[in-house]
Amino acid sequence: MHEMSLMASIFDILTRHLEDYPGVTVKKVTLRIGSLTNAVPEALEFCFSAFAQGTVVEGAQLEIIQVPIKIKCRECQQESEPVEFHFRCPGCGSLAVDVTQGRELALESMEVE
Amino acid sequence: MEIAIKTNVLATNDQLAAQNKDIFHRAGITALNIMGSPGAGKTTLLERTLERLKGQLRVGVIEGDIYTAKDAERIEAHGVPVYQINTGGACHLDAQMVQKALPHFNLAQLDLMVIENVGNLVCPVEFSLGEEYKVVVLSIIEGDDKPLKYPLIFKESTAAVLNKMDLLDFCDVNLVNLKRDILSINPEIKIFEVSSRQQTGLEQWVEWLHTIGKKSG
Ligand SMILES: Nc1nc2c(ncn2[C@@H]2O[C@H](COP(=O)(O)OP(=O)(O)OP(=O)(O)O)[C@@H](O)[C@H]2O)c(=O)[nH]1
Ligand SMILES: [Mg+2]
Ligand SMILES: [Zn+2]
Repeated sequence: MHEMSLMASIFDILTRHLEDYPGVTVKKVTLRIGSLTNAVPEALEFCFSAFAQGTVVEGAQLEIIQVPIKIKCRECQQESEPVEFHFRCPGCGSLAVDVTQGRELALESMEVE
Repeated sequence: MEIAIKTNVLATNDQLAAQNKDIFHRAGITALNIMGSPGAGKTTLLERTLERLKGQLRVGVIEGDIYTAKDAERIEAHGVPVYQINTGGACHLDAQMVQKALPHFNLAQLDLMVIENVGNLVCPVEFSLGEEYKVVVLSIIEGDDKPLKYPLIFKESTAAVLNKMDLLDFCDVNLVNLKRDILSINPEIKIFEVSSRQQTGLEQWVEWLHTIGKKSG
């Protein structure tokens, strides 16, 4: 359950940003989570509620944008989405591919009132 | 009002990891982050490895454990410097814990720093420690479905040690499929098939440690 650590970092960042907006309450927090990461949305939601309790974030909605995995071929430059974690270019069959998307663990935005 | 933040959640850990990496680099140390399920055989592999590296590479060990010092005691018996990190419940090591451990070593006297992470196939891989290489230890009895169920750890690791090969005939694991899936996730990964108990297959693994552990300059 490393989602607890992730959520602690998320609340550190939120708190830092909220210092610029005294008196507001948070309505929504949006995360971008890559499909190659091990962060489980249900666990994130559970941890979010736990951390939000008794703060200006309490009751806010947690929106999780899932980012699919994308790879780019180093040989032919083709971009694709791997099927079943097969990291191989569907265009030329090359195994020399770089992950360009899917490792995101980002705090995207918050909505305050 | 919507406020854009666009910040990597792990930014703080990544910064500390970069500092650790710099500390290792300046001391001429190659650091390894050894990960794998509880009981995969990380400590046993490390013990057999230390015996073989004795007098050739100077190794320091950081042991990550949730509460106990059992693994650190096993390592200490081999006469190498070891520091125990108790995570106090956390399922993974992070860069800050490792940074606090480093002053307990005489880094100038080391070639290789082996960090045994908390037994867990999921969480540790998200947290960079400043290591140069990640290594995943999988005991074959865990099953050949593990790579596709936990792809990230295989994707991010430079080497995979398939341990407990002595049990191959006693379990239903399909070794061909297991290796095929690992390689489809990470075509560049090095795979070592070993039995830490029967001490087979360790030569290639130790040889790899020699190649990466040599002091540069
Ligand atoms: N049959 C067999 N047993 C092994 C082998 N390697 C380790 N074991 C046994 O597996 C058990 C767990 O080994 P450890 O080395 O403590 O495993 P670990 O990955 O360090 O475990 P944690 O630190 O608790 O996550 C012990 O009983 C070892 O003796 C092997 O190659 N073959
Ligand atoms: Mg151990
Ligand atoms: Zn291609």
